[in-house]
Amino acid sequence: MTECSTPPTGAERPGEPKLSCEEALARVYEYLDGELGAADHDAVRRHLEKCRNCYPHFDFERLFLDYVHELGAGEKARPGLEDRVREMLAAETD
Amino acid sequence: MSIPAEQRRAEFEDEALIHLDALFGLALRLSGGDEPRAEDLVQETMLKAYRAWDRFEAGTNCRAWLMTILRNTFINQFRKQKSRPVPVEFDQLAERPSSDALYEADPEGRIFDHIIDDQVIAAIDELPEEFRVAVVLSDLEGLSYQEVAELMDIPVGTVKSRLFRARKRLQGRLYEYAVEMGYVK
Repeated sequence: MTECSTPPTGAERPGEPKLSCEEALARVYEYLDGELGAADHDAVRRHLEKCRNCYPHFDFERLFLDYVHELGAGEKARPGLEDRVREMLAAETD
Repeated sequence: MSIPAEQRRAEFEDEALIHLDALFGLALRLSGGDEPRAEDLVQETMLKAYRAWDRFEAGTNCRAWLMTILRNTFINQFRKQKSRPVPVEFDQLAERPSSDALYEADPEGRIFDHIIDDQVIAAIDELPEEFRVAVVLSDLEGLSYQEVAELMDIPVGTVKSRLFRARKRLQGRLYEYAVEMGYVK
């Protein structure tokens, strides 16, 4: 894939939507979240293949989302909670 | 009490209690770091799950089943509160550095390897609840926009805008930490 400056100047096939950087960046989260329809997803992907301004920005946002996702793990239940749950279940069983 | 009842309880405890940390973690983030509220949520979840244990299909994903019960329990409370006035509108919060300040200062995202997670968790906890819940469900739990919209009873477009603003707010906090740490100028 050849690099090009922004806005993309590479030849587009006729009839295909061509996104500006602004339009591509407005869709960054929907793109990374897998929430765009196939045509819109392809339009963003084609923009990224050609735009060296937007690609690093998308990469950065992907790193950010991966980082936040990982934050979900690692929390430990506080001491005593398991005992209270067991007591509650025992009371419920009586 | 009958032996079958005891066996049923033992079976439930074996299957469910190993997921206590994960349940507490989700409850704590949904509650914005409020530990007593998170513990109440976990206990209520466990009680509901225990009462419905006969309907759990052995061999399916117990963790996912429990997390769904916890999410739904939280959302029921959240929806009941929704009639209350929202104390602070996100728009009224003080303006932070520009939404792309972090990207401009650290385009390769090296900060994500250096930041202390607790600071970012605190920033998530501080988000106004309607934004925090969207972020937790989408970004931590991996739910789709449609699933978040249905749970929160809001349009998909509102989910999108809340996620956008909340994520930019978090990046603004990360930028501030990065400056404090002397990591960026």
